[in-house]
Amino acid sequence: MATTATTDKPDAPAGRVLILLDGSRLSLAALEAAAEIASARNAEVLGIFVEEVNLLRTAGYGFAREVGGSSGLARPLDSAAIEARMQALAEAARRSLQQAMARRGLAQTLKLCRGRVAEEVLNLVQPQDLVVLGRVGWSGIPGARLGSTARVLLRQAPGDVLLWAEPRVQRQNRVVVLLNHDQGANHRAVLVGAELARRSHQPLSVLLRTGSEIDQSVAEDILAYLQSEGIAARVRQIPAASAGAAVRAMQEEGASQLVVSRSCSLFADQGAEALLSALNLPVTVTP
Amino acid sequence: MAVPAALTEDQIYHRCPPEKLDFDTTDALEDLELPFGQDRVLRALEFGASMAASGFNLFVLGPSGAGKHELVKRFLATHAAGKPVPCDWCHVFNFQQSDKPGAIELPPGEGRKFKSDMNDLANELKTAIPATFESEEYQARIQELQEEVTRRQQKGLFAIQEEANANNIAMITTPAGFTFAPMRNGEVIEPEEYKKFSDEEKELVEAKVEDLQKKLQQAIQQVPRLRKEVRERIHQLNEEMVQLTLGGPIGELREKWSHVPAVVAHLDSVREDVVEHAEAFQDNENGAPAGLLNRYRVNLLVDNAETRGAPVVYEDLPNHQHLTGQIEHRAHQGNLYTDFTLIRAGSLHRANGGYLILDARRILTQPLAWESLKRILFSGEIRIESLERLYGLATTVSQQPEPIPLNVKVVLVGDRMLYYLLSHYDPDFLDLFKVEADFEDDLDRDDQSYPLYARVIATMAPSSGIRALDRAAVARVIEHASRLASDQKKLTAHDRVLKDLLSEADHWASQAGSARIEVVHVQQAIDEREYRASRIRERSLEQIRRGVMMIATEGEQAAQINGLSVLQIGATRFGQPTRITATARPGKGQVVDIEREAKLGGPIHSKAVMILSRFLANRYAPLGELSLSASLAFEQSYGGVEGDSASVAETCVLLSAITGVPLKQSLAVTGSMNQHGEVQAVGGVNEKIEGFFNVCTQARGVNGHGALLPASNVEHLMLNEQVRDAVREGRFTIYPLSHIDQAIELMTGMEAGVPDADGVYPENTFNRLVADRLAEFAEVGKKKGDGKENGNGGNGNGNNSDD
Repeated sequence: MATTATTDKPDAPAGRVLILLDGSRLSLAALEAAAEIASARNAEVLGIFVEEVNLLRTAGYGFAREVGGSSGLARPLDSAAIEARMQALAEAARRSLQQAMARRGLAQTLKLCRGRVAEEVLNLVQPQDLVVLGRVGWSGIPGARLGSTARVLLRQAPGDVLLWAEPRVQRQNRVVVLLNHDQGANHRAVLVGAELARRSHQPLSVLLRTGSEIDQSVAEDILAYLQSEGIAARVRQIPAASAGAAVRAMQEEGASQLVVSRSCSLFADQGAEALLSALNLPVTVTP
Repeated sequence: MAVPAALTEDQIYHRCPPEKLDFDTTDALEDLELPFGQDRVLRALEFGASMAASGFNLFVLGPSGAGKHELVKRFLATHAAGKPVPCDWCHVFNFQQSDKPGAIELPPGEGRKFKSDMNDLANELKTAIPATFESEEYQARIQELQEEVTRRQQKGLFAIQEEANANNIAMITTPAGFTFAPMRNGEVIEPEEYKKFSDEEKELVEAKVEDLQKKLQQAIQQVPRLRKEVRERIHQLNEEMVQLTLGGPIGELREKWSHVPAVVAHLDSVREDVVEHAEAFQDNENGAPAGLLNRYRVNLLVDNAETRGAPVVYEDLPNHQHLTGQIEHRAHQGNLYTDFTLIRAGSLHRANGGYLILDARRILTQPLAWESLKRILFSGEIRIESLERLYGLATTVSQQPEPIPLNVKVVLVGDRMLYYLLSHYDPDFLDLFKVEADFEDDLDRDDQSYPLYARVIATMAPSSGIRALDRAAVARVIEHASRLASDQKKLTAHDRVLKDLLSEADHWASQAGSARIEVVHVQQAIDEREYRASRIRERSLEQIRRGVMMIATEGEQAAQINGLSVLQIGATRFGQPTRITATARPGKGQVVDIEREAKLGGPIHSKAVMILSRFLANRYAPLGELSLSASLAFEQSYGGVEGDSASVAETCVLLSAITGVPLKQSLAVTGSMNQHGEVQAVGGVNEKIEGFFNVCTQARGVNGHGALLPASNVEHLMLNEQVRDAVREGRFTIYPLSHIDQAIELMTGMEAGVPDADGVYPENTFNRLVADRLAEFAEVGKKKGDGKENGNGGNGNGNNSDD
C-alpha cells in the first residue's frame, strides 16, 4: 500500500486528527470539520482512504451485478471498472484533503489502504487521536443515519470519535454534553464539550442523567469547573430514561453539537444507536 | 307716424321697492333650504336621484360659476340622508384561483368586524398551530410514524441481508448501490478460489445471488411508494391536529357569521387551506411565514361603518384609477409584488349604493376615464383593471379581483356646450345619462321673488363669512342682479357673480369699519369692479376725445350716423358709438356692404344689409327698377363687425345719403329691422346707451343728446345713475322705436310720410324725397342706355348683388 506524505512534522502535538475519506458528500463535509478542529488544535491530519477488499473481490465475479441504491436497476460489475472508480475516488479524496489543509497551512498525510475499513482505521488510530467520519458513507441503506463503519468505530475506537452530520437548518446554538450522573469518564466528555463550546463560541449545556436520588454535588462540581474555565454553561438533570427521552431533552436544549461518553449507560443496550439515529447533528463520542 | 314719447326715469330703471323687503338686516332672514327659481333643476334632480332604472344618470348643465356643484351636493346630501346605508365590500384570498381574489358583501359596518375577526384568527393560527406541532403528543406520533417508516424501509433490506448471510453470501455496499458475492467467515471469497468450487455449488450460489438481486430490486423499488405513503400519513396526522386546533376558533366564527353565507364558505376554505399548509406552520420558531398568514386576512375595500344614509362622493380627480380602483404593487429588492391586500377601492366603490358627482370636463380630459366610466355603467359591475392590462401593454401575472356589482347614480356636472356635444357625438351618452338637469340662468323678478331673493343673499352671506346686509343694500344688490341679467323682469341666477359682489362689498364695508354692508359698499363694489375693468374703455374714450376716432355728437350731417356697438373683453363688456356712413348714386340696384367686401363683416351683418336693400327696393320702387348703387361702412372699424343691431342706423344713413337730408349727430341709434321696416330687439342696450352717454359727457357735456332703441328692448334697460339723472333732468332722451319711420322722423326732424292708396307719399315728407330721388336715379340710368357701368361700388362686382 502506498503512503503519501506531502508534509511531515516530527514534533506533532499529542493527538492527530484522523479523517476517513470515501468520496461521499458527507465525508467531504466531515473533512471541513476535521480541518477546523485540526487548525484549532494545530494537530497533524491523517487522511485515510480504504479500498474495501470485499468490494474488489466481488468485482472479480463474472456474475456480479450492482443494484442501484435508489433506482433498483442492476448493471454488470467488473474489476477494471471498480479499480478505476476507486482510483478516481482516492484521487478526489487526495485533492480535497490537500485543498482543505493547504488553506489552513496544516500538515497532512493521506493513507491509502486496502482491507476492511473499520479494521484498517482501528489499526491506525491511537488513544489520543480524534477520528472524524461521516455518519454514513456512500449509498448505504436508504434512511439510515448510522453506517456500519460508524457503528463499529464508536464502540471500539480507543480515542474520541466525531460522527459528522449536517443539520438541515442551523438554528440551535448550544453544545450539549450528555452524561451519566455516576460514571467515571465524565471529565473527558466535559473537557471535549468545553473545547467545542470555546471554539464555536456557543454556550454549553450539560445534561446529567440521574437515577431516582438526586445529587446536586456532581452538577455543582461540573458547573464550578466550567465557570472557572470561563464558559457560559448550565447543568440540567434529566431522568435516566430511554433514548427517546434524551433526544427530546436535547431538542429542548437546542443542541447543535453533542458530546457523549461511551461509558454512558445508553451504550449498554442499543440506546446509543437509537439516540444517534434520532439526532441529526455532529456527535463526539469520548472513551 | 307719431314720434314716440321719450322714456321716463322709471322706464329705464326698475327700482326695488324697499317696502317689499320687511327686514332690517339679512341676519333676520332664514336660510333657504333649496335654491329659489331652480325648480326645473330640482325636479330633474329629484327624479333622477329617485329613478331606479338603469341609465337614468344625471347631467347637470349650466354656465360655469352658476353654483351647480354646490347645489348638487346640497341636494344630494339631503336626498341621500334618508336612504339606506349600502353594504361593505371586502376582498379575500381565493384559495381555488389565487390570482382571482373573491369579493364578499357584508351588512354596513360589519366589514370592520370581519376584518378584525380574521386578523385575530390569523394571529391565533400563528401561535396555536406551532404550539400544536410542538406538543408532546404530536412529536411522539410523528416519531412513531417516522420510525415505522424507517423500520419498514430497512426491514426489507435487512431481510435480504439476513437471507444473504444465511446463504453465505455477502451484501456489499458500492458507491452507487449494492452487490452480492459468496463469502466465508465474513469475508468475500477470492474469485480464484471460487473457481475451484464444483459446478453444482457454483450454480447454487449464482442462482441464489440472482434471486437476492431480484428481491433487492423489488425492495428498493418499493421505497418511493413507501415514502409516499408515509408522507400521506404525516399529512393526515397534520390535518387531524390542525382540525382539532382550528375547531374552536373557526367554529366560533362560523357561528358568529352564520348570517353571511359567503363568510361561512370563506371560513371553510380557510380551514381547508390551513390544513393543507399545516407543514408550513410547523417547524418554525418565528411562526408561519407571513405570506401564508396574510392570505387569511381581509382587504376591506368599502367601509360604510361611518356612512350615514347613502354615500355622496365627489371625485375631484376622475382618472381611470381613481374611478375604478387600482391594484398597487410593493417594491421589494427591485421587483414589484402584489396580492389581494393591495387592491384599492375607487370612487365608484365608495359611491356604490349612493351618488357619485363628477365634473364632466375633468373626466373628459383624463385619458380613457370617460370610456372606463361608460363601460362600468353599461356592465353594471366594477372590474378593477389597470390601464396597461386593459390595452395589452403588460402581460405579467396580476390580480383579477372578482367584479363588484354596481348600483350608483352618476351625476355629471358640466356646461351646456359639453352636454350638447356629447349628445351629438357620443352614441352612448344619452343611453347612460337620460336625465338632463338644466340650470336657469335668470330668475323671474316679481313681487314674490323679492323676499326670496333676499333670502338667497342672506343664505350666501354667512356661508362665505360675509357680514349682514341692510335693507337698502339688499335692494341695491337686487337691482344690480337685474342689470346683470340685462332685464328689468329678471334677476341673475349666477351664483359666482353674486357671491363675488357680496364678498367685495364686504371688503369695502370692512375697510370702512362698518358692521354691516350698506348700500354705499355695494355701490363701491360695483364701481370698483367696473373701474378695474375699464382700461380699454378709457383708451377708447380717449381716442374719441382726441379726435383720433371721429365721432360727432353735435350738429347735423348727411350720410353719417352714430351707430352703437358693444365690445366684450373677458368678463366685462362696454358700449361705444361707431360712425356709420353711406354713399348713394344711380346704379343697378345694389347696396355694397363694405365690411363684407373687406371680409370684416359676419354673415348676420350681411343678412341685415340684404334685408335693408330689399326693404328699400320694395318700399320706394315697388313697381319700377331700383336704380341705386350704394355703399355702407363702419368707419374706423378694423376688428370686424357682426350682428344686425345696426340695421336701423344703416337704413337711416342710407336714406340720408340718397336724399341728402342731414341727420342729427346728437342721437345714436340701435335696433334691428325686418323687411317691412319694423324695428326688432337687440342685445346689450344698457352698455350701448351708457357708452354713448359717456362719449357725450366727455365731449361737451350732455345736453339734448339721446339714443334710439327698439321698443321691445325697453324692459331690458337698467341704466346707471348718471344716465338716469340726465334723463330726469331732460338732458338726455331715450326713444323707443317700433318702426323705421319713427327713427327717420327723430333723426331728420321731418315727417316720414305714409303712402296714399296709389302708393304715393305726400309732398314734403321724407319718404317722398326718397322716392323722388330714386326716380331721378332711374331716369339717369335709362339715359345711360344699357348701363354697363356699375357705379361707385368700386369693386362691387356682383358678389353682393341680390337683384
